[in-house]
Amino acid sequence: MIWLLLLGMALITFANRYLFFSKMIAYSPGPKFKRFLSYSSYSVLTAIWVPIIFHFDGQSEFQLAGLDYLLAAVLAGLLSFYRVASIIVVLLSTVLFFLIRFYLL
Amino acid sequence: MPLSLAVIPWGVLTGALAIEAGFSAFQAQLMSLLVFAGAAQLSAITLIAGGSSFASIFASTVVISSRHLLYSITFRQHVESLPLRLRLLIGFLLTDEMFAVSQAHSNRSGAFSALFAIVSGATFYLFWNIATLLGIIAGEYFSELDSMGLDFAIAATFIAMTFAELRNYPILVAVLLSGLTAVLLQPLLADSYIVIAALVGMTGAYLCPDAQAIAESKVSS
Repeated sequence: MIWLLLLGMALITFANRYLFFSKMIAYSPGPKFKRFLSYSSYSVLTAIWVPIIFHFDGQSEFQLAGLDYLLAAVLAGLLSFYRVASIIVVLLSTVLFFLIRFYLL
Repeated sequence: MPLSLAVIPWGVLTGALAIEAGFSAFQAQLMSLLVFAGAAQLSAITLIAGGSSFASIFASTVVISSRHLLYSITFRQHVESLPLRLRLLIGFLLTDEMFAVSQAHSNRSGAFSALFAIVSGATFYLFWNIATLLGIIAGEYFSELDSMGLDFAIAATFIAMTFAELRNYPILVAVLLSGLTAVLLQPLLADSYIVIAALVGMTGAYLCPDAQAIAESKVSS
């Protein structure tokens, strides 16, 4: 089944890259639609990572994933906000995550 | 070249996490060979590990890779006259990094170079796949320890990719709205919450009054 997933994803990413190179497409989107698209990756990535840290059970309870996740995510957020290189952010915050996990919890 | 080196850690991470998520070594490599898109691959791996349906993974892949439409539109005028096989090749190799270096090259030299685009794109492709292979090898060795940190490593990666631009007001709005919507919708719509939350975030950012003012001032100036 993973094969189907890989094939589908390959077609989707290729279609998005090649679409406007095709001679069959005459349509050209305006600046407004381009601006809408420019926010896509920030929105999707956020919609994926936030539920890893915060859970909501659908009734009333908000749950945090745990001190290890929360503190390490705060560190990652702060470092990124101050424009530390992404790979350093991931390394340092993941190290903190494992330190808390093994020595504090 | 420095940008080629910068893709290595992400390729290693992608390869290793694919193995943790249950991909075979061959499938993990094939993903980088065929899909060749870091954020889309990492998202899909997270969603697979969390048991999401294929439909929801495809839908989030559509939204996440829709930014490539922007690059495709920008390059269109330069590639229209090229033969089909070259257009197919440049399309396949069109990534964030290739777009960035090609634009920089066009600005420096005054003209778009198809050869430059293909060579730089192919270099990223090579580095991305070698790095994935290294990640696959690493993932096969440390399977127990890392499976616990799988979801955090991905969260940290995505935080790093989004928070660097939080000073940009519409992006702050996009992040706040899509994050809040995702948390609230997740228990109700296990399969579609990511795409809906992303569209809410994009719409909110688009409607930001500041962004409109900035965009209009750029157009008029």
